[in-house]
Amino acid sequence: MSEQEPVRGIVVSGLARSFGTVDAVRDVTFEAVAGRVTALVGPNGSGKTTLLLMLATLLVPDRGTIRIDGRDPVTESRAVRAGLGWMPDVLGSWAALSVRSTLELTGRLYGMTKAAASARAVELIGTVNLGDLADQPTRVLSRGQKQRLSLARSLVHDPSVLLLDEPAAGLDPGARVALRELLRRLAGDGRTILIASHVLAELEEVADDAVFLEAGATVDRARLAAARSQSRGWRIRTLDAAALSTALARESLVPEPGPDPAEAVVMLSGEAEAAALLGRLVSAGVPVSAFAPSVGDLEQTFLDLGGAR
Amino acid sequence: MIGFWRGLWLIAAIELRQRVRGVAWYVLLGVFVVLLLIVTVLLAITFNLAASAGGGGAQSGAPIFSTIIYFVLLLGTLVAPALSGNAINGDRESGTLATTQVTLVTTSQLVLGKFLAAWLTALAFLGVAVPFLLVAQILGGVAGSTIGVSLIVLAVELGVVSAIGVGLSGIIRRPLFSVVVTYLIVAALSVGTLIGFGLGGVALQSRVTVPTSYYDDGSGSCQAQASYTTTVPGFEKVWWMLAGNPYVVLADAVPTQYGTDDEPGDLFGFIKLGVRSAQIAPDPASYSYSDCGPNQHEYSRPTGREVIDSTVPSWFVGLLLQLVFAGALLLGAVRLTRAPSGRLAAGSRIA
Repeated sequence: MSEQEPVRGIVVSGLARSFGTVDAVRDVTFEAVAGRVTALVGPNGSGKTTLLLMLATLLVPDRGTIRIDGRDPVTESRAVRAGLGWMPDVLGSWAALSVRSTLELTGRLYGMTKAAASARAVELIGTVNLGDLADQPTRVLSRGQKQRLSLARSLVHDPSVLLLDEPAAGLDPGARVALRELLRRLAGDGRTILIASHVLAELEEVADDAVFLEAGATVDRARLAAARSQSRGWRIRTLDAAALSTALARESLVPEPGPDPAEAVVMLSGEAEAAALLGRLVSAGVPVSAFAPSVGDLEQTFLDLGGAR
Repeated sequence: MIGFWRGLWLIAAIELRQRVRGVAWYVLLGVFVVLLLIVTVLLAITFNLAASAGGGGAQSGAPIFSTIIYFVLLLGTLVAPALSGNAINGDRESGTLATTQVTLVTTSQLVLGKFLAAWLTALAFLGVAVPFLLVAQILGGVAGSTIGVSLIVLAVELGVVSAIGVGLSGIIRRPLFSVVVTYLIVAALSVGTLIGFGLGGVALQSRVTVPTSYYDDGSGSCQAQASYTTTVPGFEKVWWMLAGNPYVVLADAVPTQYGTDDEPGDLFGFIKLGVRSAQIAPDPASYSYSDCGPNQHEYSRPTGREVIDSTVPSWFVGLLLQLVFAGALLLGAVRLTRAPSGRLAAGSRIA
């Protein structure tokens, strides 16, 4: 049973779990490497939360194996828990307890001494910027504030592996930037971070790797590569709508109809083609003010895989 | 690793802090104190009136003490299911169970910690009753053994109800349903056993032939009359049903204090005597009627002391069964709450 050289990070292979007749997770295989942020992307009901529950030592898989820093969450759940932080998508908190007490008590549930837990709580309250509310009962917190408390709670015991389920939901833009910086810093310390989210634009900016889930199974590399090479939309903004329209007609490109005549979205396959088009537009004297993919990489791949259904 | 008792106490402390912070909780205790005050004052007046009406030196402390204990048992068993019956599934609904389960506390610590908190909460009702118990003690006549045994048995009974509630909250998914089932079990023990006893006794009634006689004025002698048959209830066949009743367990366990007439002097004793009397099959002779001479109404009932001394105690059997039942429910809760969990109903979430 024992894996002698502990592989850091999360290694999942052939994972499956069903609830009655519902196959929530059918066949999931992936690796989340230590020191990197891995995005877990998939439409609603694709099995993201079930997968995270299995990783979080709460659910036994029907088939397949999980190794978290080399340990099995089923047979060595306590050892895994000691090094694992989990932020659920459900925002539960002890309603009558203050933010500070919540973090202190969580620390103590992880076996920390009173003094250590108390110091850690102060530190984390600063990290997630809940200083003004530290002594308020958690029931008064807004959704975004609860989300930040939940993040702090998952960090109490300084885990080496972090599982975050929709961490950015309900956060204001400032808090999102702070979250992004925090996650980058945590990954920089060598932690493994796995984020499940729908906010793909958000993931785009923080994730190093991505795992795509579809109907309970990971999408294999070949399909991913195919999806990535498909043509995608590029948004071109100009100061002269007429000039752009003439230039695009000369390229025999038909922009997708949009509300703003100063903006056009055209389908191009690959970055090389995009760069060439930009060059030709500029030399033709079209005043281009913006030229970028209309959607992010993750989102495009997600859409190409049929996630929009 | 986290020490067993430390983890257990941490869970209990979180649970208690969650409850005690609620204003509703203090309101409930306040209402309870007011009710106790009314009961104590009314009882004191009643017994003082009885004493001044010629009851002699009867001390009012013992009956008041036993009534307050019963009142705490009544209130405790009415409130404990509501406080304990959603301990685990309520946490699951509010999303705080899974975040506790991913920490280093074990499922046993989680379940037992919640049980301890529920028990302590129920004991708070006993705590606020202490001043009233002291008043009863000052009024006199309460034996030390009565105080000791009744307090211990009361505390254990409250623990049994709390354990049933916490156990069911870990076994049944929906909080409302587990609270209701806890109430039904408490009702089955408190009232159901009584109904079973009553109906069973009537259903198992038997026919007896009762001899009668009358005094014949003409001959000046006693004449036997045709005997008649009647039915008597068979309570002696169903008395054991009452063994599991918390009120009976309490009454039966407390060593009885007798008055000068060898009859019990407090509520524990009265209930104990009632239950013990049910063990004795009725004697047909006691139904007979004779108006003959000096032996008229001669049949004498045994005293309370004689009845109690000649029958068997049952409280430890009832209490043991209750403890086994409550323990089994707690064990079931530990097994079903354990994470990582293998089985899970379709559509239900664990987080």
